[in-house]
Amino acid sequence: MSGQTTVAVAPVGNNPFLRAVAALSTLAGWCSAAMIVIAVGITCQMIFIRFVLNGSTVWQTEAVIYLMIAATLVGLPYVQRLRGHVNVDLIPLALPMGARRALAILTLTVSSAIVAMMLWYGYEYWHFAWDRGWRSDTVWGVRLWIPYLALPVGFGLLLLQLLADLLAVILKIDRPFGLEEH
Amino acid sequence: TELRLSHQWSNNDVRHKVAQIVADEAAAANVDLEIKIFGGKSLFKPREQYNPLSRGQLDMTVLPLSYAGGQQPAYNLTLMPGLVKNHDHAARLVKSPFMAELEKKMAEDDVMVLVHGYLAGGFAGKDGCITSIDDMPGKQTRAAGKAFEQMLAGAGASIASMASSEIYNAMQTGVLDAANTSSSSFVSYRIYEQVACYTPPGDFALWFMYQPLLVNKSTFEALTPEQQAALRAGAEKAQAFYLEEAKKEDAESRRVFSEAGVEIDDMTAEEFEAWRELAARTSYKAFVEETPDGQMLLDLALAVE
Amino acid sequence: MDPLLLGALVAIFTILVLFSGVSVAIGLLIVSAGFLMVFDGMRSLELMPEIFFGKLDNFALLSIPMFIIMGSSIASTRASADLYEALERWLTRVPGGLVISNLGACALFAAMSGSSPATCAAIGKMGIPEMRKRGYPDGVAAGSIAAGGTLGILIPPSVTMIVYGIATETSIGRLFLAGVIPGLMLVGLFMAWSMYSTWRSGNLAVISARTYSWTEKFEVLPRVLPFLAIIVGVLYALYGGIATPSETAAIGALLCLLIAMIIYKLWNPRDLWVVLRDSTRESVMILFIIAAAGVFSYMLSSLFITQAIAEWIGTLDVNRWVLMACVNVFLLIAGFFLPPVAVILMAAPILLPIITTAGFDPIWFAVVLTINMEIGLISPPVGLNLYVINGIAPDISLKTILYGSLPFVACMVLAIVLLCLFPGLATWLPDAVMGPGF
Ligand code: NA
Ligand code: NA
Repeated sequence: MSGQTTVAVAPVGNNPFLRAVAALSTLAGWCSAAMIVIAVGITCQMIFIRFVLNGSTVWQTEAVIYLMIAATLVGLPYVQRLRGHVNVDLIPLALPMGARRALAILTLTVSSAIVAMMLWYGYEYWHFAWDRGWRSDTVWGVRLWIPYLALPVGFGLLLLQLLADLLAVILKIDRPFGLEEH
Repeated sequence: TELRLSHQWSNNDVRHKVAQIVADEAAAANVDLEIKIFGGKSLFKPREQYNPLSRGQLDMTVLPLSYAGGQQPAYNLTLMPGLVKNHDHAARLVKSPFMAELEKKMAEDDVMVLVHGYLAGGFAGKDGCITSIDDMPGKQTRAAGKAFEQMLAGAGASIASMASSEIYNAMQTGVLDAANTSSSSFVSYRIYEQVACYTPPGDFALWFMYQPLLVNKSTFEALTPEQQAALRAGAEKAQAFYLEEAKKEDAESRRVFSEAGVEIDDMTAEEFEAWRELAARTSYKAFVEETPDGQMLLDLALAVE
Repeated sequence: MDPLLLGALVAIFTILVLFSGVSVAIGLLIVSAGFLMVFDGMRSLELMPEIFFGKLDNFALLSIPMFIIMGSSIASTRASADLYEALERWLTRVPGGLVISNLGACALFAAMSGSSPATCAAIGKMGIPEMRKRGYPDGVAAGSIAAGGTLGILIPPSVTMIVYGIATETSIGRLFLAGVIPGLMLVGLFMAWSMYSTWRSGNLAVISARTYSWTEKFEVLPRVLPFLAIIVGVLYALYGGIATPSETAAIGALLCLLIAMIIYKLWNPRDLWVVLRDSTRESVMILFIIAAAGVFSYMLSSLFITQAIAEWIGTLDVNRWVLMACVNVFLLIAGFFLPPVAVILMAAPILLPIITTAGFDPIWFAVVLTINMEIGLISPPVGLNLYVINGIAPDISLKTILYGSLPFVACMVLAIVLLCLFPGLATWLPDAVMGPGF
């Protein structure tokens, strides 16, 4: 949440895999933030061109949309690392430690499976667009494999971060669901 | 057998009625064929329908074929300024060798046409009429379709791209000076409350958009001969209805705008010719450059009397 | 299987999955994939990434991160402290003056931020410690900020209004205006309650901590100017024909970043990164839920559940106010467990046809829905504002915060009742400014 003074971060301990994934997710987070800032800039440029110069805006709307999609997808692993994806932790809180750990392992495994599926079909969709040379049906005519690339990249990185979180719970580097013991 | 049809229109739109006629006729034929209609974007967004259709994940759709112009550049000819003169000309066009060529392209994507149909549209100006090329310079304009954007930019307009649903607000706040869209959108989005002048499609009209009812080819071929016959019979009835309603929509938009006190100004033959020359230099040229066989397809379309 | 029965099955399964502690967005994807696989065949899974991408393919969504950046950039400067200080100096003699200053600051800040947690954090960081220092009970301090922060999504700009506008294709400009009067009304109710409870408690010692001279009162006013400049600038861009609502958000974000950098000297790259990190974190979280909820609603529609429920409700012959009461209870319960955007995206396609058929105005309904979501923000188990308060004041127990915010929840329920009695509270302003239209 904005303005919060402290941000929870998934602990990595001394595990090299966890450290590498954490670094990768952080890099992805920087890219995501950068894309949001660029989208702000392009939108303001578009308003300037149209309102002040009374000129045509051909590519801006599309570019901003694709940047925002990419920012979302590429930002997923970073937000996962910052524990920013909201969940309902009522039942995990009520469970004793052993059961809580088992539930965390189960949910992380199923999450990884669904994200792996999104990665696989996302890759197929991207490949389809690449193979057939699809373009957007606008004057700008973007080659669609470029924006679609965000699907396999974003879900791939999120999968890595989820697997790292799973490993951290199994190795007891991180507490299940990041919850304090009671 | 159950077939799923997706479209983006409301229940009282002519394109929904076309789909409904086909569905009703198929049901009435008693050949174990039910068409389930998912209207009003309830299943797919408008531009997301062609891909699932071509991969067999969706059975049928009614959509502007030019939406898939990024996948098959040839489809851009179905929304090209000045290519269709009026609805009767459009009816001849769909039976021509030009359409046969397009259907070959569709077959490449495992798609075929059940019901052909064109809808027309016009121009509206916030402060004055948009009939001739000379009306365009400096105007912030929303154009429906890539080829129109290229042509209007060629006439000196500034292009602002937005959905037709945003025209009303954009005109109200002054973001937009002029707009080009279909007759039915002009009416359903109540654009007559915001403009001074309307140029409806009449004897001369630039804007015709091909919006067929499509079916996945493999799905169709997997049906029994009786089911196929029932669909074809329904489609024939629907196509006749579609043509009549398309003409009525243009007349209706003219009536609604003039009753709302908006000035009506038709395009003259000379103005139309000037637009078409401009289109040849801008949109036709760009189309031929980016489309394999583009010149051949364009010539076929222009050859239809 | 009968679509209604299938719908019940989806509801049960969704509750089970979401309660397992999996993140909401991924949980929605799991449920969608499960039902699509079983009832629509394996091949429909192929479509999921395409639909996911398509739900994000919308220019209006741009405004979500933009309105969040507006809030978080200002929140990271001393601007909210200035705002808070100014209100405090002027309201010091009023019973419960400090609480009222905080609520006023929340309302003003809400006019710059599209998100409730951001509003809550911005004012709470200053307000909660100050109120506790002056002897206000912990419950009042935490509860008033938790509740005041929820105004972020009612007073424009608002992220949830944008999401509602996209889901139901209603004008975002109109929705924003519809939130203004109910937002002010809610602040009024909050303040009235605070004054009354302070007066009743007889704890007048906390009121007159100190008094300020007129010089002191006037010298803080210029420091509120940047706020007013931003609010006026954004309103002018929005309703003055410069930009569409989504584009306005970008102007607002740029304006706030510039003001934060130039006036409040937010130059340090590390501080700037904190602003961007927090905005990215909240935006990506919301956009992920939006896309996943889109896949979920595709599943509901594809299995004909949405259509069947709408049809079924249509056949019920109930009084429209009974219907509205049921809808409110449903929204309230959903709001307990899910963040606002998820509720809106999952419920709007089902509820809107029902609401409009019963003769309710979709713009008016957006306001009622938003107030319901505000209650959800300060109720467990998923109350985003509660997390924020917990981050600011970890030593105040959840129970204390909850009891403290209960009277404000009552105010929100009262506001919903008032809106039902006088729908014009929501619809008058948009009609007056934009004319009766879309
Ligand atoms: Na707000
Ligand atoms: Na809640």
